[in-house]
Amino acid sequence: MRNPWAQTGNYRTSYVQDTTIFANYREIVSVVGLLVALCILPQFLERSQVLVLNFILIYAIAVLGLNITTGYAGLISVGQAAFMGVGAYTVALSAPSLPFWLTIPLGGMVAALIGFIVGIPSLRVKHLYLALATLAFQEIFVWVVGRSPALAQGAAIPVEMRNFLGLEVGFRTHNYFWYYVILFVLVLMVIAWRNLLRGKYGRALIAVRDNDRAADAMGMDPGRTKLMAFALGAFYGGVAGGLLAYLQRAVVVEEFTLGRSVALLAMAIVGGLGTVVGSLLGPAFIEFLRLSMERLSEWMKASTLIQSITPAGVDVASALLPLSFGLVIVLFLIFEPRGLYNWWRLLRSYFRTWPFKY
Amino acid sequence: MHVIDFVQNLISGIAVGCIYALAALGFVLVYKSSRVINFSNGQLIAIGAFLAYALAVWARLPVLLAALLAMLLTAGLGFLVERVFLRRMVGQPIISVIMVTIGLASVLDGLMYLTPFGSGNFTFPQVLPQGGLNLGGISISYPQLLAIGFTAVFLLLFGWFFQRSVLGMAMRAVADDQMASMSLGVSVQRVFALAWAVAGLTAAAAGIVVGMVSGLNQDGLIAIGLAVFPAVILGGLDSVPGAVVGGIVIGILQSFSTAYLDGVLSQVGLVGGGSQYAVPFLVLLIMLWFKPHGLFGTEEIERV
Repeated sequence: MRNPWAQTGNYRTSYVQDTTIFANYREIVSVVGLLVALCILPQFLERSQVLVLNFILIYAIAVLGLNITTGYAGLISVGQAAFMGVGAYTVALSAPSLPFWLTIPLGGMVAALIGFIVGIPSLRVKHLYLALATLAFQEIFVWVVGRSPALAQGAAIPVEMRNFLGLEVGFRTHNYFWYYVILFVLVLMVIAWRNLLRGKYGRALIAVRDNDRAADAMGMDPGRTKLMAFALGAFYGGVAGGLLAYLQRAVVVEEFTLGRSVALLAMAIVGGLGTVVGSLLGPAFIEFLRLSMERLSEWMKASTLIQSITPAGVDVASALLPLSFGLVIVLFLIFEPRGLYNWWRLLRSYFRTWPFKY
Repeated sequence: MHVIDFVQNLISGIAVGCIYALAALGFVLVYKSSRVINFSNGQLIAIGAFLAYALAVWARLPVLLAALLAMLLTAGLGFLVERVFLRRMVGQPIISVIMVTIGLASVLDGLMYLTPFGSGNFTFPQVLPQGGLNLGGISISYPQLLAIGFTAVFLLLFGWFFQRSVLGMAMRAVADDQMASMSLGVSVQRVFALAWAVAGLTAAAAGIVVGMVSGLNQDGLIAIGLAVFPAVILGGLDSVPGAVVGGIVIGILQSFSTAYLDGVLSQVGLVGGGSQYAVPFLVLLIMLWFKPHGLFGTEEIERV
């Protein structure tokens, strides 16, 4: 007795099937079930918990973008946080005059344009150099924002959004309102992601990543394909940044530093590069890790025993975060390069013939 | 007066650039031999400098001995990093290997926060007399002289090592063609390990020079590690002379942008100055746009 719901792997056998979004009705049912669950989930949660969920979903959007650049095109980006920042600042500057459903796509578009410019070297050089281009952009972005009086020199710029179609978004409903907005945007972005990558362009991306010369010989333009991937990844980042600006009601440059870019990369790796499931699992895992590390460090600060054994001048709390992030990246890359997505797959395949072994 | 100011800035730029050149040497070696872009270079610099400080101040060793020991210990750390993390990644896509170094940078950061060096500033014990040489109005401080002299000595040693010693030649051979050198009996694994050890050594050397010229502070040391990227792209990722030239040019650019560009920028409306942090990365981007293989890098025939 095989359990068809626990089916893993790719069961698409023909080209027609390969270009469909869902291989069979079970996938549709699972996705709809997941969406319904996500829709009613906030009813059971407190405001602060919904906020955590909001962050996870926003990072999921940014990681989806990173999964196009890094997962599909094979270009390492250590600048995704800066692209988020571009989106967030675009939103902050345009929010007073435009409604949010215009400012957020606008933020994405500006980020995509800048991603395009940063990615221009990909027309000429291979992926290694691109990592450095994104690093340069990340550093320049933080510097420019930190020195521009028009952007409050990186200090908080308030982003206000008080009502939507006559519906007042107050202090109590803020997190819930934005939860549904973010969820809606995430669903749109996932649909776009899947549609983009199952078609001609996605195939070209995979071909260029796996062997650029062969792809070139078969008539694809590797440079342009990669550049496009870069701009798309930046677009996702910009949209995520715009949502973050509204959610936090303010934009601060500390949200968009190199450390955050590395955290986003960690999310993509931990989740599993190039998968939608991974783009959701990765941010959830890393945010959970961050929260538990914060709790641990609070506990350590409170405990007198630990305070008495640590030498003066040592700040254990601020060490925990980089240490755990770095370890997670390194350990996942060494022991489970396919990420949490693979654990999810193994879990399902375990239940395929459950309770029997074969 | 203007000329004297100019020369003065030039000299302080060269002194800073020598630090970058030192740090870039190890980076280029790792890239040359294994095509890995090492994102944890800044952390190696910081660890080397802090080790030297700890040995000199806490263990009260003579400064020269402390510096030497710190360099050896950091070389050991580089070796260990290669052994424990990077050797497992052989055969994995190069992206994964680079991302391991990013994760490693984060781990090393965290480890440094576990020591008192994670926060605050530290000053090396004074070994050099105050003041400096004065040549017709242009003054060169002893630490600056030391930075330049130290780099020169290091470069000579490196030049000898790569041109004359068997190990150095093996490293060059591996950098040129891994397969061919393997078939000629060169242990590629050993060369990789050695490249990382040398990276640790030069990073520590750079960190120690920073400690002698100015104070030690974790963020500042890691920022030097980041400034190595513009230097190596400018010089060409796989060129040792390029690393030196690139490092010195970036140092001079930084010094000039502090002296001349900050004022211009504040008139444009950017406040706070500090253009020395952004200019190197601007150079990096411009180089990638127009001459991605750098001044001395080998232009790969294989295009995109």
